[in-house]
Amino acid sequence: MMWSWIPGNWPLIWQLTRENAYLGVVPALVGLVISLPLGVVAARWRWFYPPMLAAVNILYAVPSLALFIALIPAFGLTDTTVVIALTVFSLCVILPNVVAGMRSVPPATRQAATAMGYGWLRRLVTVELPLATPVIIAGLRIAVVAGISLASVGQLIGVSSLGYLFIDGLQRSFPTEIWVGLFLVIVLALVCDLILIIIRRALTPWAVHS
Amino acid sequence: MSFFSYAWDWITSSANWHGSDSIPHQVLAHIGYSALPLLIAAVIAIPAGVAIGHRGGRLANVVINVANAWRSIPTLGLLILLAVFLGFSALTWLLPLVVLAIPPILINAAAGVAGVDPGVRDAATGVGMTTWQQILRVEVPIAVPLILLGLRTSAIFVVATATIAAYIGLGGLGRFIFDGLASNEYGPVAGGALLVVFLAVLVLVLFTVLTRLLTPAGLRQQAETEN
Amino acid sequence: MITFEAVTKRYPDGTVAVDALDLEVPAGKTMVLVGPSGCGKTTSLRMINRLVEPTQGTILLDGTDIKERNPAHLRRGIGYVIQQTGLFPHRTIEDNIATVPVLNGWPRKKARARASELMALVGLDSELAKRYPHQLSGGQQQRVGVARALAADPPVLLMDEPFSAVDPVVRASLQDQLLSLQAELRKTIVLVTHDIEEAIKVGDLVALFRPHGKIAQLAPPEELLAAPVDDYVADFVGFDRGIRRLSFVPAAGLNLDAGPVLPAAATVAEALAAARPWICVTDAGRPVGWVDATTLGALPGGTPLGQVPAEPIGHSFTAGGDSLRAALDAAVLSPAGQAVAVDGDGQVLGVATFDQLRDAIQAAEGSSRRQARQVQHAQQGPPT
Repeated sequence: MMWSWIPGNWPLIWQLTRENAYLGVVPALVGLVISLPLGVVAARWRWFYPPMLAAVNILYAVPSLALFIALIPAFGLTDTTVVIALTVFSLCVILPNVVAGMRSVPPATRQAATAMGYGWLRRLVTVELPLATPVIIAGLRIAVVAGISLASVGQLIGVSSLGYLFIDGLQRSFPTEIWVGLFLVIVLALVCDLILIIIRRALTPWAVHS
Repeated sequence: MSFFSYAWDWITSSANWHGSDSIPHQVLAHIGYSALPLLIAAVIAIPAGVAIGHRGGRLANVVINVANAWRSIPTLGLLILLAVFLGFSALTWLLPLVVLAIPPILINAAAGVAGVDPGVRDAATGVGMTTWQQILRVEVPIAVPLILLGLRTSAIFVVATATIAAYIGLGGLGRFIFDGLASNEYGPVAGGALLVVFLAVLVLVLFTVLTRLLTPAGLRQQAETEN
Repeated sequence: MITFEAVTKRYPDGTVAVDALDLEVPAGKTMVLVGPSGCGKTTSLRMINRLVEPTQGTILLDGTDIKERNPAHLRRGIGYVIQQTGLFPHRTIEDNIATVPVLNGWPRKKARARASELMALVGLDSELAKRYPHQLSGGQQQRVGVARALAADPPVLLMDEPFSAVDPVVRASLQDQLLSLQAELRKTIVLVTHDIEEAIKVGDLVALFRPHGKIAQLAPPEELLAAPVDDYVADFVGFDRGIRRLSFVPAAGLNLDAGPVLPAAATVAEALAAARPWICVTDAGRPVGWVDATTLGALPGGTPLGQVPAEPIGHSFTAGGDSLRAALDAAVLSPAGQAVAVDGDGQVLGVATFDQLRDAIQAAEGSSRRQARQVQHAQQGPPT
């Protein structure tokens, strides 16, 4: 393990880390934005959920690399390809959680809000979504953590990320680089996970923390 | 030309169906590279998960929390690391695939068994079942849907990762992708990718059907009425 | 027969759930353990089938220390019914009931046949046999739980708040079913409940627990109502225990007055001649209504009683079978302030006024006070 390599190549390492972070986090956030309205609809109109769940399950089965490849003709070997593919992946993970979160709100609570005169939008925003938050964030965590890891695969189609360190390390038979890459991907993912846990705690002050 | 037209042209060209690197050959190889790790992982993870779920307590919580940490492991990096240290041996691809396949199975088995209604557990002990009888006749059957879900998630994941394993010299459908990328031919790249998608969706359907068949009747109907 | 000898259960954090408990459950009887939450009644129950192990003391089942028996085998000889039923969701009703016979090695066919018998015994429709637990109502599920407990014909039945989770109507029906089952099967039953009414209704013996696992009073239900040993017991039993105790006193001893009872064909003149403030009009022997003397006085003497507008009977009581409490209730509900007594066929035997009821109640009170003195003597020794 050649430790001296790290400080020597820090600018490259830092840039790759930032790129990987972008490629992992942005799709998860976009996935969240898309999943929220879809999930609310699916939780409300039950007949909508089974076909939607079937579609989500099928999309989830599609390996990310294959999805990257499929998008190349349309978006080229660019960041966009990876972002779109990982957004689809995030959708598959977050959407079921939005539905589950909405359904976990006790019916009695929902009815009480309606009985007190809350319109559906206010009830949704001030009662249902806050109570569904823990479950939704659980999905977001999976999307972000897996996304950061999957983003490194994008390097195989030339999209720059920490995956570069794997491939370069392999080509040069240079284990140090590979170790650094592994370490950074895992740490980056876990740091984002931790941030999300903190956000969840901040958003749900009423929750019991075990 | 779109992804599908490239893929379709390549798949339907007969030359690709003959010879030692043909489509059928790589499909079978891919299935082999996926099935074996899945089987090994199942043999390890199902009993371990059932035991952990039955025990309950803090160990179960730790296991659930390890789940997220596991998801952060980049499969490409792990594969490459092992390739560098072990060369191109069977262990190089088997080890990471087994290691990556274990967590979904383990977590789901543990959750399935831990989630058995406490009243049912109490009744099982109360009627005079031994621990083994309780686990095998009551807890595991009730946990079957979740165990199968874990197997399904793992299977899909393994199929996807086996594709990447071709990068370090393995056969399988990834071979078409990486050879094509190297020689700048999009046909095999698209074709290989489409075939992988077919395979993954096939695995999904297979496990969904299997779940339907193996879920004890009482639970299946209960789940339907709840949904 | 089940015997507790100085049984104590102490948890690692210091809580004492059961404190040196001495208890004897006679064979073939229903013993109800009742008390507030956390008093140790459930813990005591669960020590009988070793789901909880005592910290100190011994529990004997028919003379043998249960610690010497293999737990799983012990439990197969003890029926166990819990509040949440614990029915196996992945098995049909008949397979749920057949659980212990199958565990004991019976062939499945024989076990299912036995399950059929038991379904009839607990009042379940046989077409439910192939259904699954989630398809049944709460009351039906509880019946399945009881059937499952009885499947291997165990001599002992343990029931932990079995009827608490169902609504009062279903609960009453299940309690009645238990009473009729017990009359037929004569099992040794230990039942835990927090409902004193349930304890009084189904128990042959009631053990009322204080908080922290000590028994305040162990007595047949009537004695608990008549002679509570201290204020704690009196409070737990409830404020109207005097009236409730009357349900244990048969109405057969009541003096009945047949004078006010007249058929519908009789005339107003005959009714006035009876010199009673109220007349009970009957038709073919059955009570039809009450007429008061003032109304009669305003009518022509020849009018048949059947044509006089009458007040409703309210409620009647069966002289041979009902209790003094039912008679008192009938009197309260009657516009005449008198209870109508009928026989087993619904034919009026006579009426009882509040005076006659008062006499009967005081006689019962007298005997209950004697009983209380006896209980006090037993507890404290004779007066010096």
